[in-house]
Amino acid sequence: MKWLSVLGIILIALLITLYEWPKLKKNQKKEKKAFVVLMLTSVTLSISILYFPDMPGPTELIDKIFKPFGKLLSTK
Amino acid sequence: MLEKGKISALQMTVLLYPTITATAILVLPATTGNFAKQDMWLSPIWASIFGYLSVFIAYLLHHYYPQKTLIQFSEKIVGVIPGKLISFGFLFFLLHTNGLNLRDYGEFVIGNFLPKTPMIVIILSMAFVCAITVYGGLEVMARASQFFFPVFVVLFLFIIILLVPVLNPENIFPILGEGLTPSLKGALIPSQWFNEFILISFFLPYLNRNGKGLKWGIIAVTLVMITLVISNLFSLLLFGDLTPFFTYPFMDAARYISIADFLQHVESIIMALWVTGMFIKISVFYYAVVIGVAQWLDLTNYRPIVFPIGFLLVVVSIWSTPSLQKLIDFSGTTWPFYAFLFQMLIPISLLFIAIIRKKRSK
Repeated sequence: MKWLSVLGIILIALLITLYEWPKLKKNQKKEKKAFVVLMLTSVTLSISILYFPDMPGPTELIDKIFKPFGKLLSTK
Repeated sequence: MLEKGKISALQMTVLLYPTITATAILVLPATTGNFAKQDMWLSPIWASIFGYLSVFIAYLLHHYYPQKTLIQFSEKIVGVIPGKLISFGFLFFLLHTNGLNLRDYGEFVIGNFLPKTPMIVIILSMAFVCAITVYGGLEVMARASQFFFPVFVVLFLFIIILLVPVLNPENIFPILGEGLTPSLKGALIPSQWFNEFILISFFLPYLNRNGKGLKWGIIAVTLVMITLVISNLFSLLLFGDLTPFFTYPFMDAARYISIADFLQHVESIIMALWVTGMFIKISVFYYAVVIGVAQWLDLTNYRPIVFPIGFLLVVVSIWSTPSLQKLIDFSGTTWPFYAFLFQMLIPISLLFIAIIRKKRSK
């Protein structure tokens, strides 16, 4: 069933691109770059999360950095 | 200028008020109750000091660098590369926090009302609505929020009035029984909610009449404080010491309402309150991220990146936490410090550096 979700992700990405790409003018190079990079990041991330749901995310990163402070507030 | 729209100071207040209250109203009674016990209604008052401070910092920075948002003036203040780094951290924080907000919304809707709907459907539909709003620009967002704000307030007052007959005023005693410490401890987490007022920095440059920003910012903080005091006080008067054991005390308070066996199940009103509030909250954060990224990369138009960032936002919201328990644990222990770094320490150091720079150049 996972390939269906992958298909869904690609479909959403495609729809966004089809909607947005024709509106970008030729001289808007930076916008194009930003669009492509953001889109690729989102698609790769979403597919990787689909296959590796336990992949450590931003919350784990922040948790690691701020752990010593966080302990001050934990009631356990 | 990226954003051509202008909003009035009143519209700014109307945007900021639900941004803080939406989540705080439901979750805060439990988190503050954990530390402050029967003094938890005092905690939002202490916490609001941070809100006022945030508004002042944002206003002063705006005063030094008019027409610029936090992302733009951080480069001016500390130089291009450190400025870009700070902005990146700030944008990461906003995106991550907004992902958590979106997830929080999804968890609440599924946990209370739609237990069989997949999470992704709830999150995607909300993100899509917010994306359309942000795509419309600041003016559209402000008008949408102007439309929803009265709904939010009326529904809140409706719940409050219905709750009055079932309250037990004795729960409030002893006031300050253990001194000030518990209520101050309880203020630690809400203080970071109030610090979200630093987002005012993204609106101040777009006000149509400049002078009123500070005044309406302060009004917004005061309104939020009053609302949170009421929601904490009512949860306390209803549940007493039990409040911290609920996940959403205010929601359970609404479940309690039953008038003449006729007016029941008013928790659906809380649902309406939550959806309207969260819609504005997520849109405001989303807008800040979009405009921030566009300014960070010096784009000429922010619209092309609205939908890609929305996509990323959905991914972050799924990715950021495996369960509601982890989410609550994170937002109650680590998040306040994480938020303090970006919402308080960084803006205040920027302000000090800006003041020193101005003095030297004279």
